Amino acid sequence: MTAAPDHSADERPPLSEQLGVRLRLVGTALVAGVVVATVSVVAATVLSDPTASVETAFALGSLLFGFGLLGWSGAVALGRGIESMQETLDTQTGWTEPDARRAMARIIGFGLGVMLGTMFVGSVVLGLA
Amino acid sequence: SSRFVLKRLLLLVPVLVGVASLVFSILHLSPGDPALTIAGERASEEFVKQVEESLGLNDPIWVQYGRFIADAAQFQFGESFIIQRNTTVREVLVNKLPVTLELAIYGQLIGVFLGIPLGILSAVKQDSITDHLTRIGALAGISVPIFWSGPLLILLFAQVLGVLPTSGRISVLYNVEAIRVTGLVTVDTLIAGEWDMFVSAVRHMILPASVIGVYSMALISRMMRSSMLEVIRQDYIRTARAKGQGAKITVLKHGFRNAMIPVITVIGIQFGGLLGGAVLTETVFAIGGIGTLLVEAIKVGDYPIVQGTVLTFAFLFTLVNLGVDITYSILDPRIEQ
Amino acid sequence: ETKTTTETTTGTGERGLIDRVTASPFVSKLLSNRLALAGIAIIVTMVVVAIYARLFISLDAITQSQLGTNPNRAAPSLEYLFGTDGQARSLLPRVAYGAWYAMLFGTVTVAASTTLGVGLGIIAAYYGDVTDNVIMRTMDVLLAFPSLLLALALVAIFPDDLGLWRAVAALTLVYTPRFARVVRGAALTVLENEYIDATIALGATDPRVLVRHVLPNCLAPITVQSTLNFGLAIIDLAALSFLGFGAAAGTPSWGLMLSNGVSQGLLTGVWWWSFFPGFFLALTVLGFNLLGDGMRDALDPRMRE
Repeated sequence: MTAAPDHSADERPPLSEQLGVRLRLVGTALVAGVVVATVSVVAATVLSDPTASVETAFALGSLLFGFGLLGWSGAVALGRGIESMQETLDTQTGWTEPDARRAMARIIGFGLGVMLGTMFVGSVVLGLA
Repeated sequence: SSRFVLKRLLLLVPVLVGVASLVFSILHLSPGDPALTIAGERASEEFVKQVEESLGLNDPIWVQYGRFIADAAQFQFGESFIIQRNTTVREVLVNKLPVTLELAIYGQLIGVFLGIPLGILSAVKQDSITDHLTRIGALAGISVPIFWSGPLLILLFAQVLGVLPTSGRISVLYNVEAIRVTGLVTVDTLIAGEWDMFVSAVRHMILPASVIGVYSMALISRMMRSSMLEVIRQDYIRTARAKGQGAKITVLKHGFRNAMIPVITVIGIQFGGLLGGAVLTETVFAIGGIGTLLVEAIKVGDYPIVQGTVLTFAFLFTLVNLGVDITYSILDPRIEQ
Repeated sequence: ETKTTTETTTGTGERGLIDRVTASPFVSKLLSNRLALAGIAIIVTMVVVAIYARLFISLDAITQSQLGTNPNRAAPSLEYLFGTDGQARSLLPRVAYGAWYAMLFGTVTVAASTTLGVGLGIIAAYYGDVTDNVIMRTMDVLLAFPSLLLALALVAIFPDDLGLWRAVAALTLVYTPRFARVVRGAALTVLENEYIDATIALGATDPRVLVRHVLPNCLAPITVQSTLNFGLAIIDLAALSFLGFGAAAGTPSWGLMLSNGVSQGLLTGVWWWSFFPGFFLALTVLGFNLLGDGMRDALDPRMRE
């Protein structure tokens, strides 16, 4: 479920290039997520119960991940509808489907990074397995 | 084409995984303790531990997450904790879903079949009294909350005039369970050929469906009006008119199909609002569907039911929008490449 | 140039703002709109009722059962203008006190979501690029959820001993995106002005630019949005109470009174239990909607269809 599969094959640059851009987008966010999760879980463990902080961090990660996935698929599924609705009702906000998908890909990556980071810290460092 | 439909169907996967992840995180971030909820406040510590064990709450959270997603993918949520003990969530949902579905369908029908003509009327007679009345009426319809308009309608039509029933789905004299096929009472009674029962079911449906339908009607008529105005302004309508056809026929023939395209997408998007409205409408009219079920489950902490209902809501919303998308691509073939 | 200097001098900035507001065509246009004036009249009346109720009605007296003292379930009469409820409590002071709850919790909800939304919107507009995209698209997703369902999901996260504050917290998060969106749009327009670039070039810090120059110019759209949302907040707070996620039992909140009226009064034809709280709820909401619409028209006539 990492790099969410793309369904809209419009006139765009070649596949390999597209894939590269996407991987970089999700990847950067993912690494950021892992770092943030590791640092915050280790910090939280010093202050409080390790299991609880791991659980909270993981839950927050899955919150972002789920939110991103929902937003991404929402943008793909409803994108055209939202764009035409804004046009017809004259309430343009500059919303575009590709923009939304890019933002959501970042959130998906970050959330997944947090989940993976917590998993790593939890199982390797704290030995919860 | 079938490839397009398949692509859209595939979107259900990220939607459901996304919703399941959200539900998972909310359940883990919320203050309640499921083991304690099942075991009861006064249960012994050992029993609570036992329950924790059986629910797998002692596993690392990522294991719980994986299991949760896998179960959710199969619509497997286990048994209800509290609301209907020892009944699987699936069974509870199968019972309650048609109730909400029926309400939403009739509400949507009222919204569409009143909203579209009203919108067209408004557009054709732009800035006339009819136009203003329609728009003010729609605005008023949205301003009054369902949980006030509902009671008022019940008081007027059921208590004062005595022409419609107050609450429920069908008269208590009838046993609908005996003839259950689809779970939609208006359909089941017809299938069974029970005319009296059918009439009773329809009479029970009128008020709740109207209350909930007003909301979609308001949005649809507004959308239809501005979409229609846009189309009327376009050149080819003028050309058609210049050729000497009657104005009315021109509007309907050329304008309608094009004006419908944006309206259809709105129908899909506002379906979510309709489901939200169902929660309140079901409460007001004492119709036990998945809306009231969700509220009850959140209140008492019946987590499996919460999960099941939320996922069902998401599933429904996505399916409706899938249907909308397909209709859209039929109306406007340029979309599909 | 002169604008920049007056605004950066401490003290005069605020007065200049008030002067600008009173002299603006916005206010004069608003005051010539009859529907908006009706809205203002309704709101002022409800605020007076709310303050009166808070000061002169004892919460204890209207929460406790009055069985034995008053007639039970009495229909509206001269003595009990709005009738009495199942605990023989007169409904009039309870409905009046409901105005206080609606105003108080409505204000907190709107103020909190305004603050959050303004912060997010300004940050998105100022920093642009990835920050902007991630913040705003997140807001869009939140906006796409039906507000009541989202509020229900959020309510579940907060502990239930928070009472009505739980509903306030959930709704704050639900409304934040609307403010963020409006503020971002307004802030972007301000940021296009050349004097902003000049101020930055002169070495003004980010927070200073945002608070001193961007925020004051977003006030009008923020006010419109707040007014429109006030009506929504009152409805949604009542809806959550109606569903049982708000005020504790016995509290004279409109939503709770309506819930009681629906569950116990409807079948027996006791119409006044649901009629009066609902009427004042709808009236208050109408007041805010009328004022908000009037403000929107005064602000930007093009938005009128």
